Amino acid sequence: MSSSPRILEFDSVEKSFFGVKVLKAVTFDLRTGTAIGLVGENGAGKSTLMNILGGIHTPDAGYIRMEGEPYAPRNPQDAARAGVAFIHQELNLFSNLTIAENIFITTFPRVAGLPMIARKTVRERARSLLDQVGLSVNPNTRVESLSAGERQLVEIAKALSLDARIIIFDEPTSSLTALETDRLFELISTLRARGISMIYISHALSDVMKLCDDIVVLRDGEVVGKSRTAETSTAKLISLMVGRSIDQLYPERTGRPAAERALSVRNLSQPGIVRNIAFDLHDQEILGISGLMGSGRSELARILFGLDPFETGEVLLWGENLPKPSPRQCVRMGMAFLTENRREEGLCMEASIAENMALVSLPNFANRGGYWIDHGRLSKSLTALRGAVRLTRSARLSQAVRTLSGGNQQKVVLAKWLLNRPRVFILDEPTRGIDVGAKYEVYSLINKLASDGAAVLIISSEIEELIGMCDQILVMRNGEIADTIRRPDFDRERILRGALKQSHTTRTSPVETARHDPESR
Amino acid sequence: MTLQKLILVALRYTTLLLFGAVFLVFGSLSSKFLEPVNVVNILTQSSSTAIVAIGMTFVLLTAGVDLSVGSIMFVAVAVAGKMIFTGYSLGLSICAALCVGFVFGRLNSILIVRFRIMPFIVTLGTLYFGRGFGLWLTETRAMNMPDAVTQLGAARIAGIPIPILIFLSVLAAGHFVLTQTPLGRQIYAVGNDPEAARKAGIRVNRILGVVYVLSGVCAAIGGFVALTQTGAVSPTFGNQKEFSAIAAAVLGGTSLFGGRGTIFPGTVLGAVLIQTVENGLVILNVDPYLYPLVTSAVIFLAVLIDTTRTNLLEKLGRRPIRVEPVR
Amino acid sequence: MVKRLIQSEYLVLLLSAVYFAALAPFTPGFASTGNLANILSSMLPLLVVAMGQTFVLIAGGIDLSVTSTIALASVVGASVATGDQGILSGNSLATPGGILAMLLVGATVGSFNGAAITRFRMPPFIVTLTTMIFVSGFAVWLTQSKSIFNLPTTFTILGSNVWVALPLVAVATLVMHFALSRTLLGHWIYAIGHNKNAAEISGVPVRRVLLFTYIASGLCAAAASILYTGRLESASPVMGRNILLDLIGATVIGGTSLYGGKGKILWTVYGVLFLALIDNSLNLLNLSYFTIMMAKGAVIVMAATIDSVRNKLLNS
Repeated sequence: MSSSPRILEFDSVEKSFFGVKVLKAVTFDLRTGTAIGLVGENGAGKSTLMNILGGIHTPDAGYIRMEGEPYAPRNPQDAARAGVAFIHQELNLFSNLTIAENIFITTFPRVAGLPMIARKTVRERARSLLDQVGLSVNPNTRVESLSAGERQLVEIAKALSLDARIIIFDEPTSSLTALETDRLFELISTLRARGISMIYISHALSDVMKLCDDIVVLRDGEVVGKSRTAETSTAKLISLMVGRSIDQLYPERTGRPAAERALSVRNLSQPGIVRNIAFDLHDQEILGISGLMGSGRSELARILFGLDPFETGEVLLWGENLPKPSPRQCVRMGMAFLTENRREEGLCMEASIAENMALVSLPNFANRGGYWIDHGRLSKSLTALRGAVRLTRSARLSQAVRTLSGGNQQKVVLAKWLLNRPRVFILDEPTRGIDVGAKYEVYSLINKLASDGAAVLIISSEIEELIGMCDQILVMRNGEIADTIRRPDFDRERILRGALKQSHTTRTSPVETARHDPESR
Repeated sequence: MTLQKLILVALRYTTLLLFGAVFLVFGSLSSKFLEPVNVVNILTQSSSTAIVAIGMTFVLLTAGVDLSVGSIMFVAVAVAGKMIFTGYSLGLSICAALCVGFVFGRLNSILIVRFRIMPFIVTLGTLYFGRGFGLWLTETRAMNMPDAVTQLGAARIAGIPIPILIFLSVLAAGHFVLTQTPLGRQIYAVGNDPEAARKAGIRVNRILGVVYVLSGVCAAIGGFVALTQTGAVSPTFGNQKEFSAIAAAVLGGTSLFGGRGTIFPGTVLGAVLIQTVENGLVILNVDPYLYPLVTSAVIFLAVLIDTTRTNLLEKLGRRPIRVEPVR
Repeated sequence: MVKRLIQSEYLVLLLSAVYFAALAPFTPGFASTGNLANILSSMLPLLVVAMGQTFVLIAGGIDLSVTSTIALASVVGASVATGDQGILSGNSLATPGGILAMLLVGATVGSFNGAAITRFRMPPFIVTLTTMIFVSGFAVWLTQSKSIFNLPTTFTILGSNVWVALPLVAVATLVMHFALSRTLLGHWIYAIGHNKNAAEISGVPVRRVLLFTYIASGLCAAAASILYTGRLESASPVMGRNILLDLIGATVIGGTSLYGGKGKILWTVYGVLFLALIDNSLNLLNLSYFTIMMAKGAVIVMAATIDSVRNKLLNS
């Protein structure tokens, strides 16, 4: 492999924003038909580097060569013409158009000389591209009816239609099911065999290890490590990324679950969503829910928090039956719900940190009977709180949440709930899209909550995370609880088995039920 | 499940069903209503609004709005009318009217694209500006057109009245652009997600620029068609036409949030439906003051049904996790 | 310096002052007490509607129906209070009865809008557009397009005498300002405008708050109608038909965002002041009705341009 020619060379690439150097003499190269893994914490400079490659930024110093020729794209179109394609975490597709239209949106084949789309050519070429990525769906299907994994294949087909020679994947697996991830990896290998090169960016180090030939580690804009995958390990990568060695990814758990039941669920069913869900969540307990995307994990959380209805069964909070819970009632009774979707459901992105932190507990700061907000008391509490969640020192409370990194945004969401002093937490994907360092801090925070007496329910796609954090894990499949595992019996394989076992859905594949809302915009 | 599906299908063809209902009701109340002459009448009367609404559909598809169409109609016919009075030929005057539409559309698009002002504000501004400008041109007096103009409105080619012919040509052209050209598909893409469109390399600004010009030109055409029917430019010519145009598009299933809607059948059906209701009310001799009440109620109903359908779809489409055994 | 000035939230107030100072020497009577009272009296009703609109806009909605609500409230109130065969004609309760009827109209239209938007999740633009057409048609039909005269002086004095209206509007402005900036409800309105889903999950009673904003807007329109009707000393079914530009223009010039989440009552006050000054000065310059219309259309687009430049600066 190492003998194949270099397709892309970064040579001492530098870039500063507002006088801050975000890239310092970045040098590495990519060989034809290989995959290079690019890892680093958020803010390490990965996106800036890729933006330079994509023609969004120009470097201040240094240069990039493509097949020995200087490569300096001035805009994304330049980059595309040179054969560089991006598959972003948030896919760039138009859900209201068909697969074929999405592939050719800027390059429609036309009827000779006329501004008219040659429909037949479009369909045939789309068909052949879809064959190449292994997607057997009619090209005239609208994208809105595709699953996340299928959409990604469409993006790749689009890259192939532009004769891409280098494909950059940015966190491609974060919204894929396990099966879809496997299929993606297979496709990536086929493409590499065809001589297409990849840059693969991900926080999921195990994926990077599995997929890439070489790994480059960035920290504070510098390349701090470059090696063949075979010669490194996850632990080494992490210590390179954070700049210190982390003995443990998960903080020591102190305290045991208490006997008091905080949240009890009895025979909870909602047709088409969940069936016969029953469990107890105790004070000081951390309970995990594992399962594939679309197994009903997040839907169960929404039902428990009163966002969606349930038909039969009981939800009891400290022994009190909630026949028809509403979010408002749940908040008042001391429940907190951190959703999987920070931007759409967690935060007011344009509002300030302070406004976001205060949102849940505002009624507690209103005077009795009246509705006057005590701003003095509020701002005192907020200042104390920002320390408690270890929000970055550089942030001002009046600053818009939009300007924060993913990890700090997540801390703001946590802070907003903490201020209300809840005793039951439902945390859906609490560490999604945040870097290793911030993850550790979030884990410590969760541990502290539990040892201080709160009951915590964690939903996560990362099995390691659940094994590292929980006292007990429920495995969901097909809207039911398939397995319950206590800490001493924790076993990665058993969890996966529970999540994957063949089920009787009528869909083509049990894991492909994670469809996006057709009308969501 | 099947009942739910049936309801969904029914809700999906709301406008068509409403159409049928309206025909049934008016048809049973008056025999005159269903006569071919009346059907042609309805089409002729709806052609002006439909043409303006077709232009509006382009704008709505990009998640914008054009409130200035009523004023553009007014200025266009005011200019054309003045020219006809001064002795210019009919053809030249029509060209001038189209130019007015183009210029106003361009003005809107420059303000929206170059200065990044919200379409709502820009076109509200040009609405007032245009109305004021037209009033200045006409010196706030009504201008009666020579017979040549109204004769044009009554003339037929191959038995089809000219307004309907113009209407059908605009419809065919608009439908073609939207469904068969790259521009049309890119308009849908921009409406769906402008940021993604930009990243995909679509020239978003150019597309936004085009849709407002199309809307302006359509407004001018619609204005002239209306002029051949009324035969006079009054100070309130085209007043509040923007609302009928938006209503027609929305009635036809076009979303105000962009990316969803069609010219045919959508918008056209909406425009004709509104006119059908008014026509029926005229035939039934209903108090003219009640027309806006009835039409607005119909529009409200249609939007209500469409929203219910969307909500229901969302509920049904929400990640079906398990299939329940049949009871 | 220029940058700081442009970014200041007092920019519009400053512009108004500059405009006033620049024009005063050249425009006879611009700075006279009588004219200032004139400006004030033309400001007040617009301010009242605009404040209601500000609530709706901050919550991420829009209320186009206020123009018709003003008309309907006007004719309903007048048909209760008028001396010409009014329902309470000559009765001492004519004035309070009329006012009550007007507020009732405002609350009804507002509740309808709010219910359609929150219960059925219909888009605010279309809902309030159809209610605008319906309510306006209803007002015209009720009166068969005729105005209503002979209103009791106790009724008209509210709108015709600026010194009666001023303290009332001032109190209302203060109440609404504090409601928005200092109370739980106000914070909730902003949160909903920023992100409705996040607000709901955070325990905000989204539907109730949204309903409130539309009812508030309807009530404000009705209150404005009292002032307009009093000023004209008659009720008309086409009253308020042309104020949509002034209304949206004033709030947007003030800095309230049509996307929701951003805005202040004080900003709206500045915006209304700015528009009233322009309106008044153009009138004094003896410009024709249509020139004023053109000028105002241009001014609003210009103000929006400044606002867009300002946002670009703020974000950079």
